[in-house]
Amino acid sequence: MASFTKAGADTVLWNPGADAHDTISARTYGFWLYLLGDALIIAAVFACYAVLNNPLNANGGPLGKDFLSASKGMLQTFIVLGSVLSYSLATVALKRGSKLGVSLGMIGAILLAVVFLGIGLGDLAALSAAGDGFARSGYLSCFFTLILTHALHMGFGILWMLVMLVQVGVFGFTENVVARLLNLRMFWQFQASVWVVVYIYVYLFGGAH
Amino acid sequence: MRYWRKLGLLAPLALAGCSTDNMRLFHPVGLMGGLEYHYTMWITGIMLLIIVPTVLMTIIFPLRYHHSRNAKYTPDWHFSAVIEILAWAIPLGMVVVLAYMSVSAIYRIDPWTTPALADAPGASLPPVKVEVIATDWQWVFVYPDENIATIDDLVVPAGRRVQLTMTATEAMNGFYIPQVAPMVDAMPAMISKDAFEIDQPAEFTGFSTDFSGAGFSWMYFKTRILAQADYDAWVKSVQASQNQLTYDVFTQKIAQPQVNYGAVPSYFSAPNAGSLFGKVVMDAMMGKTYPVPDSLTKSVSSTEGEAPASPAAK
Amino acid sequence: MQVAVDGPWSPLLGRLTLEAIPYTNPILLFTFAIAATAGIVVVGSVLYFRKVGYIWREWLCSVDHKRIGVMYMILGLVMLFRGFIDGVMMRTQQAIAIGPDSPGYLGAAHGYLPPYHFDQVYSAHGTLMLIFAATPLLTGLGNIIVPLQIGARDMAFPYLNAVSLWLTVAGALLCMISLFVGEFSNATWVGLMPFAELPSNPGVGVDYWMWALQISGLGTTFNAINIITTIVKMRAPGMGWFRVPVFTWVNMATAIIGVTAFPVLTAALAMLGLDRYVGTHFFSAGFGGNYMLYINLFWTWGHPEVYFLVLPAFGLISEIVSTFSAKSLFGYPTMIAASMGIAGVGWVVWAHHFFTMGMGPNLIGFFSAATMIVGIPTGVKAFNWVFTMFRGRITLATPMLWAITCILLLLVGGITGMMLSASVVDYTVHDSVFVVAHFHCMVLVIGGGVFAAVTYWWPKVFGFKLNETLGQWFFWTFVAGSVLVFVPMFMAGLDGETRRLDYLWDTSLRPLMLLEVVGIAVYFLSVFFFLAMIVVSLAKREPAEQDAWGTGRSLEWLTQTPVPFYNFAVTPQVHALDELSWRKANGLEKAQPSTYVPIHMPSSTGLPFIIGMLGFACTFALVWRIWWLAGASLLAIILLVIIRSFDKNEGYVLPAETIAAAERNLSTVSVIAEQSKVLPVGGHAEAH
Repeated sequence: MASFTKAGADTVLWNPGADAHDTISARTYGFWLYLLGDALIIAAVFACYAVLNNPLNANGGPLGKDFLSASKGMLQTFIVLGSVLSYSLATVALKRGSKLGVSLGMIGAILLAVVFLGIGLGDLAALSAAGDGFARSGYLSCFFTLILTHALHMGFGILWMLVMLVQVGVFGFTENVVARLLNLRMFWQFQASVWVVVYIYVYLFGGAH
Repeated sequence: MRYWRKLGLLAPLALAGCSTDNMRLFHPVGLMGGLEYHYTMWITGIMLLIIVPTVLMTIIFPLRYHHSRNAKYTPDWHFSAVIEILAWAIPLGMVVVLAYMSVSAIYRIDPWTTPALADAPGASLPPVKVEVIATDWQWVFVYPDENIATIDDLVVPAGRRVQLTMTATEAMNGFYIPQVAPMVDAMPAMISKDAFEIDQPAEFTGFSTDFSGAGFSWMYFKTRILAQADYDAWVKSVQASQNQLTYDVFTQKIAQPQVNYGAVPSYFSAPNAGSLFGKVVMDAMMGKTYPVPDSLTKSVSSTEGEAPASPAAK
Repeated sequence: MQVAVDGPWSPLLGRLTLEAIPYTNPILLFTFAIAATAGIVVVGSVLYFRKVGYIWREWLCSVDHKRIGVMYMILGLVMLFRGFIDGVMMRTQQAIAIGPDSPGYLGAAHGYLPPYHFDQVYSAHGTLMLIFAATPLLTGLGNIIVPLQIGARDMAFPYLNAVSLWLTVAGALLCMISLFVGEFSNATWVGLMPFAELPSNPGVGVDYWMWALQISGLGTTFNAINIITTIVKMRAPGMGWFRVPVFTWVNMATAIIGVTAFPVLTAALAMLGLDRYVGTHFFSAGFGGNYMLYINLFWTWGHPEVYFLVLPAFGLISEIVSTFSAKSLFGYPTMIAASMGIAGVGWVVWAHHFFTMGMGPNLIGFFSAATMIVGIPTGVKAFNWVFTMFRGRITLATPMLWAITCILLLLVGGITGMMLSASVVDYTVHDSVFVVAHFHCMVLVIGGGVFAAVTYWWPKVFGFKLNETLGQWFFWTFVAGSVLVFVPMFMAGLDGETRRLDYLWDTSLRPLMLLEVVGIAVYFLSVFFFLAMIVVSLAKREPAEQDAWGTGRSLEWLTQTPVPFYNFAVTPQVHALDELSWRKANGLEKAQPSTYVPIHMPSSTGLPFIIGMLGFACTFALVWRIWWLAGASLLAIILLVIIRSFDKNEGYVLPAETIAAAERNLSTVSVIAEQSKVLPVGGHAEAH
């Protein structure tokens, strides 16, 4: 829509300072878009779970309601949320510029995540040992995949935090490190949200006892 | 005119009128095919009302406003509320009409219930039930009420509704008899339905439309519509056949992957025809598959001469 | 955990044995000879002209969006040619193998391709044309043009941009190597379920297809993220959303599809991978699997993917029609609304790809009507293009001829598409070559749009125009070829000919098949004219103007031709939708900046290339189940990413004097010239 306003004497044609754009904002925005894509992967797995969560697809094996414990899931949920809280405390420390605070927050987040993974993977191992592994039925294939997709995200988050522990120590709070810490915060909250949806949809709506 | 290529759009429609051998879809037979043809023509015709003027404008404007012709030139004219409203309203109106037609058509022709066939002359007669099993790569037609079965030859009486129930053993196939019946997929572990009624004796060729592997190109079958008396005689002759189709014969021979070069038909008496279809569906649900051997994939090349003969030739 | 597969397996080489090399197949031997010769010629000339360092530094390590775009387009063109040859094989096979008496050659019973080979050929044709020809061509164009149109220095994430390119290349390499090692999928480009599962498809073909799609899909997702961030964050000052050029807008719409739809494909393919590798039961017919789930997931991606491809073509048509009509684009706001509308509606129409799968009338009715809605914004676009030409001053240069043809093709594709969206019509021609002809009309819109765009923007990128005479010859032969191939195909479709037949039992189709072969021959002529056009133009190299066509409207025509690697010496201030037109109207088009300031540029780096090649190694290993190699390359990628995060290289600064000198002496600054020539010694962080 060429609005042909006339150029005047004071019309600015060039902007010498314009390309000094905000790197952190572009990076967090880009990473947010990545999370949007990641969320769609998860959504696809959830869609499969919704379809396969019925007796026909259990192939004679158990459904979630037969082996999931709502109270244990609740415990796991609190651990995940605790981990997020710990990381959030790290970002509060980041505002104050405290290397120690950031490191402690991340270590706390890592430890809680490891406990969570221990519980979750232990459950899956027990299920497999009882003969209800992922190859038992379409339903169990999807259940394992859903849980392990979340676990994979957690695993990458832990690896990322370990790298950031080193970088905070080596580099301090440079622009790069801060951008990564902020993206990691989004990522960590993202995986927690995924777990909360898993808990609500798979455990609670799925009729876990 | 140099812009002759646009005629490509009209060519198939124009040629349709002058040839009977080609363009099967313009020569429907029976109620289902007729309905499909009817809707195709209407939907296409309505769209041509809008497409033809647009094509003409697309061709005429570049010539009319070519820079050498010094026609009226308005470089800054870039918006007109009237034209924009029309540009949205005309397609919208057309889509409303077409969507109405499409939706009402599907409620008439729905292959599962085929409401349209309620108006057919044979609606008062009991339908002929045929169970269709697509194997790798043949069509098995089971007649549960007559206790017979055929391979690659669908024989039905004229003037009665033919009710098809379909499944497959291994791969998904599309069941289709052009001019006669809507295309419906035959799928492993699932059941689908189709139906048609033809009131005069006739012959057609049906085939698979959804790719299913090396023998796919040979998955065609004769479709013969016989007069009722001829049909009855045919059923009797097949019932007397020495070839028997049992569940064991089916799973051990017929359902094993094989290419039926030339789609040679076979005929069977099948004393337990009523239970075969259900068992095949159940097998697939329980995970039974018919793995395709290398000899029928990588090295299927030139085996026609020494093809594994159809397990039970006529 | 590992699922048992047919044939031998060894820890070192996985399923890979000498038998996987198809040295007994004369067609593949011939192909290999040609590919090897071409490879030797390319590598040999690079060595002979001592350009190894140049290629490595200036191209393989480049993070410059224009060079990455050019490489995307080269990849797309090479793959387009291979896809074309696949098409030639399909057409000739079908012209020979008609009826039981038809001859057979080269070990085939009929025609010269045995079924299994034919099935791979058309599966490869679809996969290559859509994923490795159309997608890179359009991504490449977006890469080159979008930053220029919004007055940006580069993409938001230049390094990620290079990673995207090399991941796509890895996928293409996987498809190419499947020619000579093992086999490609025979399960069509969509992956038919449960046919693509292990029982029906025990070979490595489906794995090749799956991993090629998977790794290039990753690249496409990253690129989409990059494009959105670039458009959102890096527009020149003054460029509000309603001053964004329409091609950039459609890239925005496309990238939104890319970032939301491709992950669904990733998930679907990952589940197929689990089925094939560890023995889950997502998409098997039995064991509680559900193969319809795959079909739904695939088309949840697949249909938006169609618009992912066609929307950029719409944008190209808009730019070109407006430029060559010397007139503002008619109805810009509704054009944007229509693009976004198409992108949105594309999400709720996927089930029209399987009307015959036994859905009930309620669902079919919904998806049929939803599909028809796509016709509304598409119709709006056609009207707007027509009224852009109305009262314009039209030059029928090659790009404009392509654009007009695209509009006509869109109308043909549109009417047939609307026919197919009515399930009652679909019941007669679903999975027939009528559908094939329909979507080839649409991909010809994409192809025509790309050829238009290449001709249109070529001078901007390379500094000289393509030969107009040969361009017209290319255009007319291509159009004639298309008519001769696809009109008979529509007719065969109305005769009920099914897709994917290696043998035709219906002898009445012979005349149509022969006509299609004539069309293919004409296509060959057009390939010749295309190559001649490139060669002749390269030889002549008549320098083009800054505004090469004289009627350029948007920012990319404001900078120098060819575009310097820093794009704009000084970022322009934007005052109107068509900034250059605005400046022309005000007599300002020759205005130059009075002062220059230093520019911060990203350093080139070889890491993206290495990551891409490791990705190739990893997926190749997975195809052949060479677990150690897959694990090692995956680990190497992760380690490289971590190591890079410790790299403190922040790019380099181009001093103001250098820019001023470069702007005075334009001949040395070109996208295809070496950056180092315009840089002071040591002023440029070396490639590392």
